[in-house]
Amino acid sequence: MVRLGPFARYLLMRAAFLLATYITAITIVFLLPRLIPGNPLALLLTQLYQQAQANPEAIKEVYRTLMEEFGVGKPLWEQYVDFLSRAFRGDLGTSIAFYPRKVIELIAPAIPWTVGLLVPSTITAWIIGNTLGAIAGYRRGSYFEKTVLTASLILSQTPYYWLAMLLVYIFAIKLNLFPAGGGYSYGLVPSLTPEFIADLLWHYTLPFLSIVLVAVGGWAIGMRVLVIYELGADYMVFSENLGVEERKLFRYAFRNSLLPQVTGLALSLGSVLGGQLITEIVFNYPGTGYILFRGLSTLDYPLIQGVFIILVATLFLANFIVDFIYALIDPRIRLGYAQA
Amino acid sequence: MAVPTIVWVLLTNRRFVVGIALFLAVVLTGVIGPLLYPVDPLSFAGPMETPPCEKYPLGTDTYGRDVLAQLLVGTRTSLYVGFLTALIAMAIGTVIGAAAGVKGGLVDEALMAITNVTLSIPSILLAILIASYLKVRSLEVVAAILGITSWPWYARAIRAQLLSLREREFIYLSRMAGYSDLRLAFEDLLPNIATYIFMAMVLFINGGILGEAGLSIIGLGPTQGVSLGLMLQWATLMEAFRRGLWWWFVPPGVMIVAATSSLMIVSTAMDEVFNPRLRERG
Repeated sequence: MVRLGPFARYLLMRAAFLLATYITAITIVFLLPRLIPGNPLALLLTQLYQQAQANPEAIKEVYRTLMEEFGVGKPLWEQYVDFLSRAFRGDLGTSIAFYPRKVIELIAPAIPWTVGLLVPSTITAWIIGNTLGAIAGYRRGSYFEKTVLTASLILSQTPYYWLAMLLVYIFAIKLNLFPAGGGYSYGLVPSLTPEFIADLLWHYTLPFLSIVLVAVGGWAIGMRVLVIYELGADYMVFSENLGVEERKLFRYAFRNSLLPQVTGLALSLGSVLGGQLITEIVFNYPGTGYILFRGLSTLDYPLIQGVFIILVATLFLANFIVDFIYALIDPRIRLGYAQA
Repeated sequence: MAVPTIVWVLLTNRRFVVGIALFLAVVLTGVIGPLLYPVDPLSFAGPMETPPCEKYPLGTDTYGRDVLAQLLVGTRTSLYVGFLTALIAMAIGTVIGAAAGVKGGLVDEALMAITNVTLSIPSILLAILIASYLKVRSLEVVAAILGITSWPWYARAIRAQLLSLREREFIYLSRMAGYSDLRLAFEDLLPNIATYIFMAMVLFINGGILGEAGLSIIGLGPTQGVSLGLMLQWATLMEAFRRGLWWWFVPPGVMIVAATSSLMIVSTAMDEVFNPRLRERG
């Protein structure tokens, strides 16, 4: 057997875990409609079937496709194997509301919008929040600490989407500084021209702010506590008594507190994404949240399931990248100190 | 008893007092408010989209309904969903976390595998998926959906706390005395982490209030009644914030933030008081 270094082994373990979780997520998507009494998908099929009686070939076509994709008449395990293998090939079924378009075709163009909003805003919030939190923790009892803590406590508990509404009302409607929604101006064609990019950023500002403001609060609260803990550690007290300069002490505390915050990134991406989906609806932003909303309002289950699977997959990919970074910066993993 | 001293210490903490006062104000608004202002929140009787005036202190919405009446009943509903969510999530989390922490071994590994997998799937996404399949959603159903999707981090935290306690002497003594695992969990272990449990409860109540609002806005909230989330949904549907109807969408949001952030302030203040590692070095 090939012996792997600690770094590779760690990453392999993480990849295996994420893959197992991904399969679980797909299994949940498969089981839910089949477990809930009155099988909602079957109900939908019946409805479509009744319409088909009165009416044209088109609906019969939709019905046939759905029947086949759901696997009506096949044993459960066969349905499951079918479902799983299709999900891994990226075939998430056919949309009902947008028949005959495939679900993946509808979601794919929305993904860059969602990721383009999620990742930069999360990273920005992470940097600002951790910096503010660290300074607050270091300057215990100062006016600065009190302000940062109170503001963070309130901001971190504010729903993204409500903040989004407030921002639209104040900055778009009252002050007319930013557009009230959408990803870019009506009539423009997406391209790499300076004009389009400027327009894109102009539309980007408010959704971006609504996420950053809330997320900064959470990071600042966590970082403040971590730095206070770190400052109380023995090595800190020791260094302080040795007369190590203050700037250096702060750097020690900051660096050591940052590590758990990197782990936190992976978890927070998920919760930020959840809030962001709703924010996209408030802004009519052309991301996956908007697609999900379209799916929900027409009870287009294949589309709803598709959005769920794609988002979980995207998130796990992001998680793996975070794991990779973590492994790079944590010497315990890099050098194999961690438990065997 | 040490209780009076603890109460005294808390009451001299300004942050705690401000937080608890604000939270009590929100609770009173929800509990007594509807009694003092007995207007049907769903009656279409009023004029359309009227700004606040003498007859309608917070104006009316597009359907001519009284916004203040909605806000009062909605606060009550949202608090109820929040508490119920916390109850459900903590029941599941405590059982799983305690079983894993006390039993150890294979039980521990199996339970933690389930927990870690569930933890990795964002709870709100899972809640959306489940809710989309249910045609009728009562308040209890919404709380149940939010509860069963949000327990994993808590189960893990409870287990970690218990594991660190397990090696302590008083636990060995109880084991030697032949106490059952159940008695051990409830008499020796859980009381030791009571403050921790309280702080977790705050997070779950907030999660329930915010989760209800989130589900409602995308049309997956309670299928009848009034809640702060449903108010925001109607306001979104009618584009209240694009049409300048501030009295419609601002109050429910302010109420949500008041409820959730006041609880956070209380919990932070308690942490400062009880957590020795956070006490200021003087």
